[in-house]
Amino acid sequence: MKVKKKPVPSEIFTGSMADISFLLIIYFMITSAFSATRGLDFALPEDTQTPEIKQEDAIDVHVLRGGAIQVDGIDKNLEGLLPYVAEKLKQNPDKPVILRTDPDATYGDMIRVFDELRQAPEKIDTEIKTISIPTRREIENLWSMLGIQ
Amino acid sequence: MALIRGRERNTGAQIFTASMADIVFLLIVFFVLTYKVEVDRTKMDLPDTWVRMKVPEKAAVISISPPSASPPLTIRVSTGEEMSLPVSTDEEIVTFASTEVAQNPDKEFIVKADESVPYERVDAVLDALKQSKVKFIYLLSEQKVVD
Repeated sequence: MKVKKKPVPSEIFTGSMADISFLLIIYFMITSAFSATRGLDFALPEDTQTPEIKQEDAIDVHVLRGGAIQVDGIDKNLEGLLPYVAEKLKQNPDKPVILRTDPDATYGDMIRVFDELRQAPEKIDTEIKTISIPTRREIENLWSMLGIQ
Repeated sequence: MALIRGRERNTGAQIFTASMADIVFLLIVFFVLTYKVEVDRTKMDLPDTWVRMKVPEKAAVISISPPSASPPLTIRVSTGEEMSLPVSTDEEIVTFASTEVAQNPDKEFIVKADESVPYERVDAVLDALKQSKVKFIYLLSEQKVVD
């Protein structure tokens, strides 16, 4: 006697696919973060091409505690910074800018001034070729080389 | 005469879900493509700037937590591919940065610091990076907006 074979339907069970998909979506939504991915860039000079910048040859921008600014020893506000720099760059377009910051000032104070200097091409139609941000150790080394206490 | 009653048809309420799988997979593909692991999750208020350049994806990160954080002014470092780890001395930053620069002399570094951090701490980090012969530094910021 012949046994009649029942046809077995071939199927992929997709009932749980929706659950898995939603789990994945929830995982990615929770773990992905919209982080800040932009900022101010600056390149450090390589040893071989480090130019000797003397303070009197440069525009000295000093950020003081509380965010006040002194440019070449003269008190300025942020709006007055770039016009002063523009005047100096007319005489010598290669004049570098040294940005020094008081240790008691905040990082935000320094960034505010650095951002202003970086806007020179738009605001005063002149590019500042070199903006140097010396560290305290570098300034102290320079002073000791010059014999200043 | 008996009324001939028509057979009532069952109208089942259904929500059409056939396109759900397509939408769900589109969402998954979107998240997979845009997914980025944030290597440093220190919460802070970044300074606002008008000028902002895109930072490289695999750049190393050095973060300085705000003075109000607990513990305050903690410095954490990350290679850009692994989660950040705290360091306790400036020498450790020099060691970390020197190792990265030895592997890739053009390695970029991102400094991520709260705007209220005293500049003294940032200066120490910049000094450590300069000692390590780092060439490119990015100071992470938020977009400044008109008040």
